[in-house]
Amino acid sequence: MTMDMTLKIGGEAGQGIQTVGSLLASACRNAGYYLMAINDFESRIRGGHSFFQMRISDRPVFAPHSVVDLLVALNPETYDLHKDELSDDALVIIDTELTTPDSTLVSVRFNEIAKKVGKSIYSNTVAAAACLSLLGAPVESLETILKKQFQNKSKEVLEKNLEAAQLGYKAVEETSFKHRPLAEVSDPKGALVEGSKAMALGAAAADCRLAAFYPMSPATSILSHLNGLSGKLPLLVEQAEDEIAAINMVIGASFAGVRAMTATSGGGFCLMTEGLGLAAITETPIVIIDAQRPGPATGLPTRTAQGDLDFVIHASQDDFPRFVFAPGSLEQAFNLTVRAFSLAEKYQVPVILLADQYLLDSLHVLETPFKAQKTIERCIAMDNDMDNPADYLRFKLTDSGISPRALPCSGDALVVVSSDEHTEDGHITEEIGPRTVMVDKRNAKLPAMLDEMEPPDHYHSEARILLVGWGSTAGSINEAARILRDRGLDTGCIVFTDLWPFPADSVTKLLEGEDRSIWMVEQNQTAQLGGIIRKQTGIAWTHSFLKYDGRPVYPQEIVDAVESREEITNG
Amino acid sequence: MVDKKRFNTEIKSQWCPGCGNFGILESMKDALAARDIPPEKILIISGIGQAAKTPHFMTCNMFHSLHGRALPLATGAKLANQDLNILVNSGDGDCYGEGGNHFMHCIRRNLDMTLLVHNNQIYGLTKGQASPTSAYGMVTTMQTGGVISDPFNGPMVALALGAGFVARGFSGNPDHLSHLIQEAMAYKGFSLIDIMQPCVSFNKVNTNDWYKKRVYELEEPVPDTLDNAIPLALEWGDKIPIGILYRRETTDFTSRIPFLEQGSLVSRAYNTSAVQDILDAV
Repeated sequence: MTMDMTLKIGGEAGQGIQTVGSLLASACRNAGYYLMAINDFESRIRGGHSFFQMRISDRPVFAPHSVVDLLVALNPETYDLHKDELSDDALVIIDTELTTPDSTLVSVRFNEIAKKVGKSIYSNTVAAAACLSLLGAPVESLETILKKQFQNKSKEVLEKNLEAAQLGYKAVEETSFKHRPLAEVSDPKGALVEGSKAMALGAAAADCRLAAFYPMSPATSILSHLNGLSGKLPLLVEQAEDEIAAINMVIGASFAGVRAMTATSGGGFCLMTEGLGLAAITETPIVIIDAQRPGPATGLPTRTAQGDLDFVIHASQDDFPRFVFAPGSLEQAFNLTVRAFSLAEKYQVPVILLADQYLLDSLHVLETPFKAQKTIERCIAMDNDMDNPADYLRFKLTDSGISPRALPCSGDALVVVSSDEHTEDGHITEEIGPRTVMVDKRNAKLPAMLDEMEPPDHYHSEARILLVGWGSTAGSINEAARILRDRGLDTGCIVFTDLWPFPADSVTKLLEGEDRSIWMVEQNQTAQLGGIIRKQTGIAWTHSFLKYDGRPVYPQEIVDAVESREEITNG
Repeated sequence: MVDKKRFNTEIKSQWCPGCGNFGILESMKDALAARDIPPEKILIISGIGQAAKTPHFMTCNMFHSLHGRALPLATGAKLANQDLNILVNSGDGDCYGEGGNHFMHCIRRNLDMTLLVHNNQIYGLTKGQASPTSAYGMVTTMQTGGVISDPFNGPMVALALGAGFVARGFSGNPDHLSHLIQEAMAYKGFSLIDIMQPCVSFNKVNTNDWYKKRVYELEEPVPDTLDNAIPLALEWGDKIPIGILYRRETTDFTSRIPFLEQGSLVSRAYNTSAVQDILDAV
């Protein structure tokens, strides 16, 4: 029988919830399980309410589960906030004086136990050990697990935590929980990786050499991972004075010959739109990650959203080509980042990757290790590629719209670039003819760019009911489609990674047909992808499940929405 | 020495006859020739404005970027390739107004490059509005009742932020300005030359004659203390000093990053096994 359980640990910011979370995630991963964990926190350092939620299974899982089997409440508020999510036979361990005859609510005084050891800061370790005990981990494993977690701390810290752990383990010895995954151990299925790390590694694998940024949640973690690689690779991470400086540094670095990127969230991207246009008119390759969060303006800083799709497709004045991609898994986060750098240079255009807080902060087990590229195709012209470097024209007209790109001060070819409209030589022009020619030249890249676009991932695309979405909701949409099929509804799904230029032909083929229910599943209020599909293909969506409260989409929510409107016709 | 004529171009300038930019352009060509830097070895980055058009009117590698953004763009280029010779052409509005934040932080970074601020105390390209350096009370096409803010003093701000090379030049004294540019380019670190220049079309106060009556050349030695430099940066009125206001040795930004000693980012070969090691460490 399949094991599929969800554990949730909640409390105040500052109680070390993420530490407990990463410890339990490592323990489950090491015991050979698949898992998918989300971190939910407020934009504050202390207080409030945060939680870590982990789904553990012996089969691959790509979405969070909305029903909680084991709730660890470091404070009573956590129980009040999450009691409606509990499964029928859920277990709750809670730090409260209240005891109830109800055996599902077990009082464990995490804080008092921690104080016995020394300080209340050990209460998260007490809670972690209680979880390990309930999940069936043998008592001997505590030392191994804690040693790993506290490997960079002093001997005293380790010993105190070990003491706290033993007491926490003992506190729930009499309590039994229906799942004991840690009692049976098999080989780990892969490494534990969060989306932000997958994107950072993708940038490293793409040979990105400069990342300039201004700190902004939820993008900053990507830069933290990259910063850890600086020096090991010829990679510099520079914190700019603002997002405007960040994108212009990236353009300057790319112009001078290295692959360069920035990462920000929607508010920072607003400031970058000027630079986006500069990259476009100067045909300078750049990669921008927009880590979406709810907006506008400050919005919900630590929450998730998919509200920037329309914005990034249209950002900056006038018409110019750009690529937009949205990963929906660890593998896609890595591979699309690698691809973004390569396409940016091949077409000399900006590439935007749409991530979000959910994708970046979630932990998964990575089954197939990432692979480095043997070589990097740079698409750069040197003097010896030219008949006469002295005649070099940076914006030479070609059928493809792509001009050979030389680097400044790398030879005799002079590189002249202007943000004003320009002629082939890069110098300013205000003449009627050259202006039109240059707009057409830049947009002449579009047919080949469109050929690069992969059709959306699809599952039972022939079905009468189609769930349609993009990016990080891929896991939930796919799982919802499977559940609905199991319940007798003829359902399939289509999930986009390659969004712009819009692959209209392949989308039309997938969506056309009589009497179909097309359900847009998006994390914005207006079904932005639905609008693009309608504009680009003439096909209108019929229903939608739109969630823009800043929290991730759970498969069951989609299932409930679809079941409330669709009748079983084939089962 | 590189022949100065190599920097000439057939492209006609778009400036008004008598514009101070002509003198600055000549001084740049002269300084590059004197420093033996040929057109293919210089990268000139500019923002937007009449000053920022300068590199179009000479033979060089160039990036004419966005209003206010020349410095972050130059920063990115220098981080990618610390071996580049970079000159930045900017104006008083471009650098001290739109790009004010970048100006401050570029000084803090201390990248080895030279910033020329063409300071005519007026907006030329947009036809005569006050700039950050316009004098208090100056009547313009927009500030018809006179400017009611105090002027921005670029050299003073640069000194306050710890710049290691701060100079003031005058477009009407191109030989002196050429010398300043040469010294600034020879300086290892960020160098600022605030260049006073007339705007013949829109600034009817600070004319060529107005400057000529006031400027005087500083004598050696170059001040290396703020006590000596600050009075010179503040001196403005009947007499205005031109020359190097302040110079001290500093460590430039890319020299502060140990791994760049192995070569510039752009010069390093792609190492597939180093990347695979990092991916395997996951």
